[in-house]
Amino acid sequence: MNVSTIKRFIALALAPSLVLYALFVFVPVIWSAYYSLFNWKGISEATFIGFQNYVELVQDDIFWRALKNNVVFVLASVLGQVPIALMLSIVLFKNNFFQRLLRTAVFMPMVLSTVVIGLIWSYIYHPQIGLLNFLLDFLKLGHLKLQWTSDANIAIYALIPPLIWSYVGLYLIIFISALQNIPNELNDAAKIDGATGLTKLVKITLPMIWGTIQVAIILCISGSLKSFDLVYIMTKGGPAHATELLATYMYNATFSTYRYGYGSTISTAIVIISLLLIGISQWLTNKPK
Amino acid sequence: MNISINWEVVKLKNVFKLTLIAALVMMLLAACGGNNSDGSSSSNNSETITLTIANNWSGQDAKAVAMRKILEDFQNDNPNIKLEIEALATDGLKTRLRTAAAANEMPDLFVMWPGAMTKEFVEGDLLQPINDFLDSKPDWKNNFIENALVDFTIDGNIYSVPMNLAPSSLVYYNEAIFNQYNVKVPTTWDELLQAIDTFNANGVIPIALGNKANWVAQSTTFSTIGDRVTGTEWFLKAVEQDGASFTDPQFIEALKVYQQLSEANAYQDGFNSIDENQMVQLYTQGKAAMFINGGWAVANLVNTAPEDILNVTSITILPPVVGGKGEMPTTAGVVGTGLGVNKNLSGAKKEAALKLFYALAGPEGQKATLESSTLVSYNIELDASKANPLFVKLTELMKNTKIVPVYDSKLSSAAVEAINNGLQELLVGGNPEDIAKRIQDAQANAVK
Repeated sequence: MNVSTIKRFIALALAPSLVLYALFVFVPVIWSAYYSLFNWKGISEATFIGFQNYVELVQDDIFWRALKNNVVFVLASVLGQVPIALMLSIVLFKNNFFQRLLRTAVFMPMVLSTVVIGLIWSYIYHPQIGLLNFLLDFLKLGHLKLQWTSDANIAIYALIPPLIWSYVGLYLIIFISALQNIPNELNDAAKIDGATGLTKLVKITLPMIWGTIQVAIILCISGSLKSFDLVYIMTKGGPAHATELLATYMYNATFSTYRYGYGSTISTAIVIISLLLIGISQWLTNKPK
Repeated sequence: MNISINWEVVKLKNVFKLTLIAALVMMLLAACGGNNSDGSSSSNNSETITLTIANNWSGQDAKAVAMRKILEDFQNDNPNIKLEIEALATDGLKTRLRTAAAANEMPDLFVMWPGAMTKEFVEGDLLQPINDFLDSKPDWKNNFIENALVDFTIDGNIYSVPMNLAPSSLVYYNEAIFNQYNVKVPTTWDELLQAIDTFNANGVIPIALGNKANWVAQSTTFSTIGDRVTGTEWFLKAVEQDGASFTDPQFIEALKVYQQLSEANAYQDGFNSIDENQMVQLYTQGKAAMFINGGWAVANLVNTAPEDILNVTSITILPPVVGGKGEMPTTAGVVGTGLGVNKNLSGAKKEAALKLFYALAGPEGQKATLESSTLVSYNIELDASKANPLFVKLTELMKNTKIVPVYDSKLSSAAVEAINNGLQELLVGGNPEDIAKRIQDAQANAVK
């Protein structure tokens, strides 16, 4: 009886958010999958063209380049943000003044708007008055100076530091709260058994927060697949599509070339790719259990 | 027993909280919805008329300030008309209009562009013609410059009038720097290349370019070079895909001519990563000898450039290209933006909208625009004693200069995107043939 009341309560409590979620996430996803079957300029009539948009998508060089760039972003986030945040959280999880100060410093970019971050880094990379090239000159490393965001070969990599810098703070906070949830008894027991340093880290700390790491990786993947704002502000996907991501390409196809149908095709592809990647990461990180 | 009761109480409390939150959310949603229905019902009411107007007068340039002043005066003079003004940056406005068009929620009046955009909106059945209104004020209608209404006219229906004149491709140069290095203002292509070499040898940026928003190279420079090489007639044929194609040798030649400029290091390093404002900054800081931008830059320079730079700034057009078919003196551009009138307006609301239309685009509006250092497509004399000297130079230059179509006013949106991206690539060493092919494919696809 009691159990079923609780269940009924949970269902009742979840219902509003479920309805909102369905209304604003599920319905649009299905809607856009439907639009992806049309040739539609936004204005005037849409014509049904079946799977032609998908055929075009598969043959579209820019789409594949955008996907490749997105994979670079996902890898940079998963291999950059998560380990850095994990290391920082292990070093910084005590509560003294110095560590709190550092934690705040690392978290600070999270409270800045992406527009601000994009502008700051645009000036760091600025070809004439940029901080980075100036610093290289100052260190007598002038030969390392590059045209960071306008050289098509390196532009996408130039976007990685701001990407990592701006999100490390979030994962740091998540990991610290996970670390604080490890019961003290376990640490004490470990001490008695003589497990310290690396052994303790590998045998106790990491397994205890493994679930959190998994969640962080999923957040990381879905977050970097969605990334748009930073790139849009810093390079607008240019020069000549060199930093195009799936989301910026979708935006450009929809709002610059006014092909709403094709834009919907790209966003449907993003949904499918995200589901695939998250499935794979779940499968991979579940293995150690 | 006790514990389980407590548990129930806790749960009840949570239920209350959640219900409260849910209720609040619902109220918020309802309030949002309510506002909308409120707005539309009051517009049916004959006492106050609500007019929505979407525009790009959001900045601090003289033109935007002048237009906002007219809106404000109009509001004060017409207490029975309530203006809902949506001011956006230019790129934002273009996107906003397309989105509104897709959702069939166009504002009552909106700033729109002649040529391709007007045509698309007419095809989408979003605009109503203003022929009758224009005919009722013949003094106004007949005072526009030659061909001013052509790009707003489709099948004999006139949908708007230009509120300014926008040559998109003018060379702004710093006379002091030119004199310092003994460089002549280029009147031939060779002289231009010569000037670039001299400036480079002396560590001055020859031409500042900010092509991050990728329309800049196309609109401010390549449209003119293209016309210089291929001539206007060929371009208009290629747009229609009627006996000319963007893979024709003359267009590839035009791309090569433009590539020469970047190979001669005409632009500063990293031009694809800074924006239009930063480009003008390089010039106003005295680091660059020239920059190429539209007539709109005057209103910007007048308001923002330091006095010593402004006083030595002069304006010219790009020199002719040897062997090219383009006429001289010409420069790329469009008659300026106009106001679109929503198809659905009728009765008193339409009357109010046309009244506002006339306030903004009528003789008074044109005069205010001209006085804000912005060219107009309307015959009024500029009071040279009051205007900024740089603007006087611009009006003098434009008296003898014919406007040829800027590429993005004629090409389909897909081809514009292809050429904009193509030029970013061209300037860093892309292959002209491949780029031409992509532009051709995009245009052919859109026209068929």
